[in-house]
Parts: sequence; C-alpha cells; structure tokens
Amino acid sequence: MSGLRQLGPAILFCVVAGAAQADDALVFGSFKNASNAENWSSRMRVLLNVDVNVVPARGGDGTDIYRVVTAPLAEAESVRVRRIADNRQLKYWRLLDVGTEDAAVARAEPPAALPPPVRAENPQRRPNDQPPARPVEVIEPAAVRSSDVVQMLDIDLGAQARAFFEEGLDGQSKFHPSVSVTVEYYRAWDDERQSLTFTPYYRYDSEDDERTHFDLREGFWSLVGNDWDLHLGVKQVFWGVTEFNHLVDIINQTDQVENIDGEDKLGQPMAHLSLVRDWGILDFHLLPGFRERTYPGPEGRPRFFVPIDTDDATYESGAGDSRVDGAVRWSHHLGGFEFGLYHFNGTSRAPLFDTVVDGDGTLLLRPHYPVIDQTGLDAQAIFGDWAFKLETIYRTNFPDDYYAFNAGFERTLVGAFGTRADLGLVVEYLYDDRGDAAFDTFFENDLAVATRWALNDLGDTQALIGVVWDHDSNETIFTLEASRRLGETWLLLLEGRAFAGAADLDPDNPFDPANKGASVAQDDYIELELTKFL
Amino acid sequence: MTFRTFASLCQAVLLGSAAAATAVAAAASAAAVAAGFSITGLDPEAAGLAIFREADRRASGYGDLTVDLEMRLKTESGKESTRGLGIRQLEMPDDGDRLLVVFDSPKSYRGAALLSYAHKTEPDDQWIYLPAVKRVKRIASQNKSGPFLSSEFAYEDMALQEVEKYSYRLLDTRMEDVGLAYEVERIPADRYSGYAREVVTLDAAELRIQSIEYFDRQNRLLKTLVVSDYGLYEGRFWKPTRMLMTNHQTGKSTELIWRNYQFGTGLDADRHFSTNSLLRAR
Repeated sequence: MSGLRQLGPAILFCVVAGAAQADDALVFGSFKNASNAENWSSRMRVLLNVDVNVVPARGGDGTDIYRVVTAPLAEAESVRVRRIADNRQLKYWRLLDVGTEDAAVARAEPPAALPPPVRAENPQRRPNDQPPARPVEVIEPAAVRSSDVVQMLDIDLGAQARAFFEEGLDGQSKFHPSVSVTVEYYRAWDDERQSLTFTPYYRYDSEDDERTHFDLREGFWSLVGNDWDLHLGVKQVFWGVTEFNHLVDIINQTDQVENIDGEDKLGQPMAHLSLVRDWGILDFHLLPGFRERTYPGPEGRPRFFVPIDTDDATYESGAGDSRVDGAVRWSHHLGGFEFGLYHFNGTSRAPLFDTVVDGDGTLLLRPHYPVIDQTGLDAQAIFGDWAFKLETIYRTNFPDDYYAFNAGFERTLVGAFGTRADLGLVVEYLYDDRGDAAFDTFFENDLAVATRWALNDLGDTQALIGVVWDHDSNETIFTLEASRRLGETWLLLLEGRAFAGAADLDPDNPFDPANKGASVAQDDYIELELTKFL
Repeated sequence: MTFRTFASLCQAVLLGSAAAATAVAAAASAAAVAAGFSITGLDPEAAGLAIFREADRRASGYGDLTVDLEMRLKTESGKESTRGLGIRQLEMPDDGDRLLVVFDSPKSYRGAALLSYAHKTEPDDQWIYLPAVKRVKRIASQNKSGPFLSSEFAYEDMALQEVEKYSYRLLDTRMEDVGLAYEVERIPADRYSGYAREVVTLDAAELRIQSIEYFDRQNRLLKTLVVSDYGLYEGRFWKPTRMLMTNHQTGKSTELIWRNYQFGTGLDADRHFSTNSLLRAR
C-alpha cells in the first residue's frame, strides 16, 4: 500500500489489502460537486440496474471529491455491469475490497504530463480477471471550461415618433420625436457561475424634459449555485400573469415617462437570493433605497391635467428615500397550474398626492410615498388551449386598506381560419375595491378584451389589439401594440392609444373621480418606433 | 452482418419480386438480431413499438448535451431568414428530458429563451422568457401545432418525442439508399397534435430517422422532413447535422443545421433547467 504512494508526487493512489475474496465495487467517475455526483449516480443506477452511491473522498490535491460507486458486486453481477459499461463506453475503475475503511481513499487525476496511471489491482490476487478498463477518473467535465469567459455586448438604438391627434390640454405639441440607446454588457466566468450584467439606458425627448432621462436599468453581479442564485446590484424583477394591468408587480418603480402601460421599469438596488426547492422557488429581496416614479413634465403627454411636482416628494418613512424595503415570494408549478404568493413591506411604489400651490400660484400635485404592506397572489391554470389567470393584492395604509384583482382567460387558436397565424383571445376583468376613489388607476371596474395575432411570417409580425371599458362611467381605452422585424437587425414597433367616453374636464370639479379620463381625452396618439440592433 | 443476410439482401434488390419481399423480411430480422433486438414474430403494431423503444434505448444514456442550431427559413418566393439558437438538453432518470433553448439571433430575439420539461404521458411544461419585459410566461404546450419561430417546424416537431406519446405500426421493410429500412406509421396520442399521422423511415442498422412524412388532420400530406449527415458521437450516439422540412401545401421550407454537439458537459437539473435559469440564459 505505502509503496504505491510513491508512484509520483502528485499521485496518491491507495490500494487496500483485504480479504482476497471480497466483492468489488466500480467507480463511475468522481466529481467536485456533490449534486453533479448525485445526478450522475441516479443515471447510473437506472442504466446499470444496480445500487449506486455517492461516496465522499479526498482528491489528490487535497480537495473534497464525490465518487459515484456501485454497491459491492458479486463476480457475475460485476461482469454484467462491466459489460454494459463497456458497451456504453463508460469510463470506470475498480475500487477493490470495499468494506475496509481505506477503500474510499481516492486517487487524484494525474497531470497530463505524468505517465498513465497504474492499475490499482494486485495481479496475484485475481489472476483470472480480464484487465479492467483503464482507471480514469472523470473529474467534473464542466470544470474543464471554467476558465472560459463569456462576453456579450449589445447596443440597441431607437428612434421614436409619437403623433397626437390634437393639441394637449395645456397646448402641448402634437408631435413628440425622441431617440434612445440601450447598452447591454454581459460577462460571465467561473463556468458561468458568476456574471456581471450592466444595462444603462438613455432617452432624449425633443419636447418633454422629464422624458429626457438616464437610468441604470440593470447593473448587478450574480453568483449561481446549483439550487440557488444570489444577485447583488441594480436589477429588474417582474411578477404577474395578466395582460392589461400589472397589479402584483411591485419590486421595481414604474418609469411612467416611457409609457403609461406600466411595463417600463427603473432599476432597483437589491440583494436578491433565490432558492430552488422541490416545493417551489423562494425569493428573498432586500431593497435598500427607493426610486421615485417618473412623471411627464409640463410639455409631456399623455399626463394628468395638473403637473406633478417630482422635485419635492415626501415620505412617510423617517428615512425618506433610504428606507430598506423587503419582499419574500414563494412560487411553484404543479402540472398546468402555477402560482406566486408574496408579501412586501416598504415604501409604496405608487404615491398618494397632496395638492399644493407653488410660488407662481400654479396648482401642483406633490407625491407622498407612504409605507405599505402588500400581499399579492398571481396564479395561472392551463386547461387545453385555455389559460386562466388571476392577480390579486391586499394593500394597507394607502391611505386605507383595500384589495384589487384582475381575473381572466386567454384562449389561443393555432392556425386560425386555416392560415398559419395564431389568434389569441384575451378577456380580463379588472376590479379595485376603492371604486372611483382609486385615483391612481383607470381600472377600478373594467372589462378588457383583446385579440393577439401572431402571423408566424418571416418578420414575426405580432399585434395585440384591445379595448378596456368601464361600464359605470363608459370610459373606454383602445390600445394597439404591433411589431415586425425588418431584416435581421431592425425592429419596427407600432403603438396607439385612444381615450373615449370621458366628459370634458369640468373646471369647477377637475378632480371628479367619476371622470378621470378627462385629463387624457385629447391625448389619443400613434407611436412608431424603429430599433436598430448593433 | 452475416453472409447469409447479405446474400438475401442482394436477392431482394435483384429480384424485386414477391419472393424478394420474404428475403428482405428475413434480412430485416437478421439485421435486427444482429443489432441486439428482434421484431421477428411480432405483429405490425408491436414491431413498430419495438423499433421506437429500441431507438429510444440507444439514444438514452447521454446524460446531457449541448448543441448549436441554425435555422434557415425560406419562403416559396425564395426569401430567406436565419435564426441562431443554443440548445441544452438533460436526461432525467424518471421523467421526460429537459430542454433549454437560448435565442441568439436575430438580435431582436437575444436573451429570450424557452424551457421545456417533457413528460412521458402528461402534457409537457413549457415556459418562455421575454427579456424586454423581464417576464417568464407559461405557454400552453397544447399549442404544439403552431410554428416554432415562424419556421416550418411546429413546436411538437422540435419537442423531445417520448415513445409513449404515439401508437405505432410497422408498414414496410425495404431497401433504401441507406440500406435496409423500416417504414413505421406513428399516430400522436395527443388530440392537440396537428397531425393525423406520421410515416417515419429509419435505417434498420442503427435505427436513425431518415425521413418523416407528416399528414395533417385531414390526412393530406403536409410536410416532409429529410434527416441527413449523421455523425457518431461518444462512440454510440448518432446525431444528424442537417434536417430539411418542406411544406408541400405552401412551398415553404426550413433547414436546420446542427453544429458542435457536446456530451457530458455537466449540466445540472436545477442550475441549468429551472425557471430561474431561464432568466439568466445567454
């Protein structure tokens, strides 16, 4: 035994003396990662139809390794297993005389420069044995590539034109051109266990100074384990399933100047830990620092008729915009059913408003951000070509407690009308417990219906055409979103919104909660955006 | 192959008669036996199933693999468009395999990814990640008959085809360019499939799919897939380099070019194939 240790300075190759007739076991590779070893062991168990276990051992370089080892095999069984392995060209070697305590001592993979390893077998003990396969240890194939660095740089340039059909309430112009640039840099190393993502964004708007803005959409470091992820930095997280309103989504602040659909978000500083378990995924978010919601300036549109004073926001928290917020979410899927349940405690992303008059006598709305608790649930169930969707929240201290939900379905017709196009029918009901008093949303008791088209042509033309209708107030919003690729590096986007059914703004009762649409009644628009991907 | 098998094959090719059919059948069973499984004495349904079981068995045990895929779409008027995808696949011991497709080009697709958990009998679980809105969206796998990335391949053609999802019938055994070949009809068990049936041709020696004819719900010939340029990997897995799907009803076609197969790269079920991994797939 000790003599074999002298084979080479880097080789620690232990063979154990023991009862000559003991059964032997086969080693099907060694791994530096226990879970990879488990994975491989379960595959071997199925393939070889013998008991296969993971045995911790010490590698030649002193690190812990995990071996995939069969149970001790009787001679006939061993022959059978080796035959399967040879047929499959699986590499293995024999761990002799298991049952003695030294049996699990490992041999390290010798450096390439060293001579091929010597068989770990005493030839005198088993003279009739056919030569076993060359003992080769498969040490974590992925680790071989661990020095690889993956890098990607993408730059998107956008030119956007918004055309309004009428002048704004305050005489804002009809034509709003703007340009934007998004840079995404990604760098991964350590076999993509670590990565950096950096996504700055800038838009220049010719009309609205507030819409001209810079934001770090994302800028974070990730460390990825087998069943956990850790992300530190500025990041975006989306939750939700419904189409017309994103009730449960709360981690990131809405970048309202970009679009009123609530889908553009500001980067949020966070520490985000995600655990993957058999019973679902657990997400922990620690959110230091608060981002104020962006609002169009006096020249911007569409906007509320009273400009919003984003310079003097107030906070309920004594820490102002430095409060550390938090959220925990559990999500899981079972067959065609999936859900996410979370609780958020922190500064509300949506503000309350105080009416103030500034030095010039101008009426302004000043955002006030209270500290809220919000519990939210999103769920989706798929039955055949039907998908049923639900989002619901319960929010406290805003300024009262209330609940809201979106519920609906989407039905997809593949190859609609004998064409290669897919047609989706989306129906959602949007409800807010506060009724008309829900000052921050149009959707307090609305029915939304849309058709989604995917033409499945070379340009991947898609369109979502919808209408949201409030049957109490008769206010109606028509929406259109369509996109089409032009060649390999251009994307054309068409978007439009029309607001109907609202009465004109009443100067004596401008804040009439039953006529919230009055502010945007003249803001129907069509938007065309061309994006070049560099 | 034994001399007798070879002789009866020659006979079959030369004679082209009823007697030859018997000779081919004899050769077929000999080939099957040589390859380690037998369909002798089985009725056509059992033979068809046995062929696909054996083909599946031979393709199993790969552990995990990664491969790059280029799709070339061509319209009837000759317009072309290409897509580049990275594919990762993991064999699960007790379930269907897992598949992650990362979209690489055109660049407007970049960062998008598709995750699929195949199941032997239950509908597959599928999610797609839309990077523009950071949204993971569950997609109904029942929409399987729709085009995959606007190509002539439907989602169900790209999905991992578990043996249990079809019923089979051996239609014919005959000589093809690749040698002795089986022609097997398979009927999808799933009523959401876009096909009434498929006719699959496999070479008897290695049970590699050579072509598939797809018949639509009205049982008209819809598409033909020709699979070619097989290479042997890891000494035991036959994988194709090219697949050409032609739609006979529209004249459109899609060619798939598979490059850079790698086996045993150490992919992990949770780390590389959870919905979390969709968010960071590159």
